Amino acid sequence: MVSAPDLHSGQRSRVWRDTLIAYAFMAPVLLVKLLYTFWPIVFGVFLAFTEYNVISAPKWIGLRNFEELFGIGSFAARGPDRDFWFGMTNSLKYVLVVPIIQFLSIGLAMLVNRQLPGIALFRTAFYVPVVTSFAVVGLIWGWMYNQYGPVNYILTTLGLMNASNPTGLLNNPATALPAVMFVTIWKGLGYYMVLYLAGLQSIDRTLEEAAVIDGANRWEVFWFITLPGLRPTILVCSLLSTVSAIKVFEEIYVMTQGGPAGSTYTALFFIYNKSFGDFRFGYGAAAGLVVAAVSLVLGIINFRLTRGGRAS
Amino acid sequence: MTRDQTNSQLEQAWALRQKRRSSQLITNVIVYVVLFVIAFISIYPFLWTVRSSFTTSGGLFEFPPGLWPTSPGIRNYVEVFQLVPIARQILNSVIICFFGVGGSVLLATLGAYPLAKMNFPGRDAIFYAILATLILPNEAGLIVNFITTKTLGLLQSDAGKYVAIILPALGNVAGLFLMRQAYLSIPLELLEAARMDGASELTIWRRIMLPLTLPTIAAFSILQFVAFWNTFLWPIIVIGSDRQLYPLSAGLLDLSGSFASNTRAVSAGAVIATIPIIIVFLFFQRYFMRGLEGAVKG
Repeated sequence: MVSAPDLHSGQRSRVWRDTLIAYAFMAPVLLVKLLYTFWPIVFGVFLAFTEYNVISAPKWIGLRNFEELFGIGSFAARGPDRDFWFGMTNSLKYVLVVPIIQFLSIGLAMLVNRQLPGIALFRTAFYVPVVTSFAVVGLIWGWMYNQYGPVNYILTTLGLMNASNPTGLLNNPATALPAVMFVTIWKGLGYYMVLYLAGLQSIDRTLEEAAVIDGANRWEVFWFITLPGLRPTILVCSLLSTVSAIKVFEEIYVMTQGGPAGSTYTALFFIYNKSFGDFRFGYGAAAGLVVAAVSLVLGIINFRLTRGGRAS
Repeated sequence: MTRDQTNSQLEQAWALRQKRRSSQLITNVIVYVVLFVIAFISIYPFLWTVRSSFTTSGGLFEFPPGLWPTSPGIRNYVEVFQLVPIARQILNSVIICFFGVGGSVLLATLGAYPLAKMNFPGRDAIFYAILATLILPNEAGLIVNFITTKTLGLLQSDAGKYVAIILPALGNVAGLFLMRQAYLSIPLELLEAARMDGASELTIWRRIMLPLTLPTIAAFSILQFVAFWNTFLWPIIVIGSDRQLYPLSAGLLDLSGSFASNTRAVSAGAVIATIPIIIVFLFFQRYFMRGLEGAVKG
């Protein structure tokens, strides 16, 4: 047995040593995170209040970027930046994919969550789009949506499009955005299916069985047992898909570049163009903050709708 | 409860079961039909692309779309190699994946160890700070990261550009969570025993933690392989227009931009870019799904 003071000082040096070792283990990953995750958050906020073109140092201009975006203060005469709000509107329309994906992937997860022969093969098939690069996906769907491509073949066969003069869905301003949204759903479905499958498998089966014994029909079991049990998963999935919907960029960059006639021009496209096209990095960062604020509001809505993701 | 009551309840249950069995069959048929339709929608675009890549004559865009390639051959594949430096781009992708996956696995396995198994001041703060980066606004990330990368002087040499492509993706939050979760399940007694024997923390990490978490490491590796193989936006921003340095995904966009009308050659390129990822996915599917689920649960 060591005496109390000895133990104390020994413990102290031990704590120091352990702390040093702990931080040494974490140093590489923390360094990368500081540089490429924390710094963009801090510096991005700062840039939003500056004028910056990378070549000369950022110049502090206060709220001018925001005045320009909202059309107030010194920009009151010009009105809000129409390009930005047009993009923001399209981004908000894009959020419509969120409930659709949740609805479909919950359904799909329930379908594949049963012991049927060959079911693993189907799960694999649903997952292939998920692991494919958006570069490839964009190209492939560009061909699918071609004027004489497979999609229009189906549409003309169903009588939904004039067979003698079909229009590619991506070339028509009225259909381009929904067409790109469909691709997002197509690519994301398998991903969310896997997450919901995990959620379904974590629900206590005895609860469902007890409900069936008590005379609940399938619909009641789903509504009162399964869905509440899935709430944590629904929160995670809808948050993930809301954030990526409001920030949608890659699929549009690859498929339509914001066209035709600006019909797929989204908020992130605006930020990208302002920054890397016009070299107005400060203005782009300001727009980024507004987008972040919007996605925060949508996140809170998600949180409320799923009752904080508490399974009950 | 009397015996009669129990018997009649049993009979009811039996009748219910018979009824259920026939309805079960109908349900299963409907389930298969629905699954088949969705699977077809998921896979058909790829089949169309493979067909186009082997089609050497005739139109690709026609009603109804063809199923089998007309005069099948590998001419389109030969052509892709002549049009763009695709062999070099494949090599670029392999290099990026090798160092990217290796690096991010190393950083995640190292960084998660103290978070899971050591007590030190600031542990929870660091953990929650990392967690917070998932929800904090990062819309200007692309802009600032480009500036950072430029300031670090990484855009001045070819090797530097590879580092620039890989570096931001090395600190992976999902990886940290996955590894932390896996480490937490290792009994503390094992570590205490090793510490008693005078093993250093690095030895414990290498000899105990890593071997016991291999399935999770595999899962994370696959996730990262897919991410690195598929990335194109950041590489394009970093590299600019030098197609010799593009990874395959970025090269494919460049190919389609320059030879948009040559759908056959571009579809051959798309197949080349997709095959490796599909093969890896099919082989390691089990790990992949596990990684995904774990990344969300953690």
